[in-house]
Amino acid sequence: MGLSTDMPCRELVELVTAYLDGALSGGDHERFEAHRRTCAGCRTYLAQMQLVVGSLGQLRHREVEEDGAERDRLLGLFRTRGLHNREPRERSVPLGMAGELATPGDHVGYFWESEREFDAAAGFLAAGVERDEVCVLLGHDTANERLLAGLERRGLAPDELRRRDRLHTVSGQQPADSVLGEIGDRIRAAVDRGVPMIRVLGNLGWEHPGWPAERDILRLEARVTDAVRNLPSVVMCAYDVRGLSGRRLLLGGLECHPLTLRRAALRHNEHHVPAGQFLETLALDAA
Amino acid sequence: MSDGANASGTEEAAAHADLCVIEALRQGDEAAFARLVDQLHASLRRVARLYVSSRAVADEVVQDAWLGVIQGIWAFEGRSSLKTWIFRILVNRAKTRAAREGRTVPFAGFGADDVGAPEAAVGPDRFWPADHPTEPGRWTSPPRDVGASPEHRLLGREAGELLQKAIDTLPPNQRLVLTLRDVEGCSTAEVCNALGIQETNGRVLLHRARAKVRAALEPYLEGG
Repeated sequence: MGLSTDMPCRELVELVTAYLDGALSGGDHERFEAHRRTCAGCRTYLAQMQLVVGSLGQLRHREVEEDGAERDRLLGLFRTRGLHNREPRERSVPLGMAGELATPGDHVGYFWESEREFDAAAGFLAAGVERDEVCVLLGHDTANERLLAGLERRGLAPDELRRRDRLHTVSGQQPADSVLGEIGDRIRAAVDRGVPMIRVLGNLGWEHPGWPAERDILRLEARVTDAVRNLPSVVMCAYDVRGLSGRRLLLGGLECHPLTLRRAALRHNEHHVPAGQFLETLALDAA
Repeated sequence: MSDGANASGTEEAAAHADLCVIEALRQGDEAAFARLVDQLHASLRRVARLYVSSRAVADEVVQDAWLGVIQGIWAFEGRSSLKTWIFRILVNRAKTRAAREGRTVPFAGFGADDVGAPEAAVGPDRFWPADHPTEPGRWTSPPRDVGASPEHRLLGREAGELLQKAIDTLPPNQRLVLTLRDVEGCSTAEVCNALGIQETNGRVLLHRARAKVRAALEPYLEGG
């Protein structure tokens, strides 16, 4: 056997962990095995490392502290905060606006009139950043630009947030189904990374180039509520009271959101219409 | 060495078991949640302690992580194992909390799993040089045989304390990887997935950590 294929002891000791993980390449594995068969020192080294690994595993059993109270607390948390619960869920998510608290799965219609009220929506995003959540913007360009400027005024750097995967933009310039799908994907991807909560801020582009037609935006709004009900997310859609038509405010704003935020108060919305019924009515209107 | 077909069969069974637990949690099955807590809570606490200053803060971090599990379960798609996902949530919360405490956080920031300068698992003085005529790179003083029932020597109080001390003095990244892999029994892939690091880098760190612990325990590893 030539020198090139022999594995010196000094090389073998560096490969023990990869060897035990079964992660050596075929060639290295063979060289490792060949050397191990002939070298007592390396066999001992391998045995020692295995002993170390084994004794580390024993630590797991050594220091188990039973804490019944802690266990009960966690079970209580599961009972009261689990999203298998329908209403009422505990309000625990700071909305970042008007000192209000939301709950995971909320879909809020935010009715704004003044420029100051519009800018306040940046507080919704800032509260998410503060809590290490992920923020998703679904809006037309003008609204998004103003919100990002609002974040900067609050001392946050949108570019850096994007780099850290804390801020995403979902384009509304695609079919409504794709918009809904992409929002769901963003939420699930963030949860997969271990992120606690996702906030979505919508400034829907009614009549904006490339956006779905009014009827499709309404259908999208109606379906958001059920789509996010069991997800660790809060979705807030901003409605421009002075700029939007009465039909859009009534059908999109009032009838599609179980909660409304208006003049600094988050309220349950009696005018909310369940998606099935809403979509049926919308189809009848069109016929 | 594990048989490939067998290993994938085991993985499939584990994935199926995960699916059952996920579905039970979604339906609000409290007993299923209790079993999960019993299985993982102690491990989560130990790992949280590697990030934050006090036991009380670690407990808050762990509770936060459980809340993330409770509320995220409908969005969890099972791309990794349930256990890996739960550790990932924990690590995420622990990092946030540690950063707020102004502590140095293991694996924070981009390229944080960079393994840095090479470290030899065994001191170079224990090997003949590479240009040695007959014994290039071979042991000058090989480790001595482990002898009979070395496990016994390792289970003693003195060895236990030495082991803990060896872990405590590891650099934070190495300590974290070693704890998850060898103390908590996660696979290397699970550890790296939970920490968001490259598997090759994770294995390098794990190897360095094990090598240091071995060196510290050497007196107990050798037969008398």
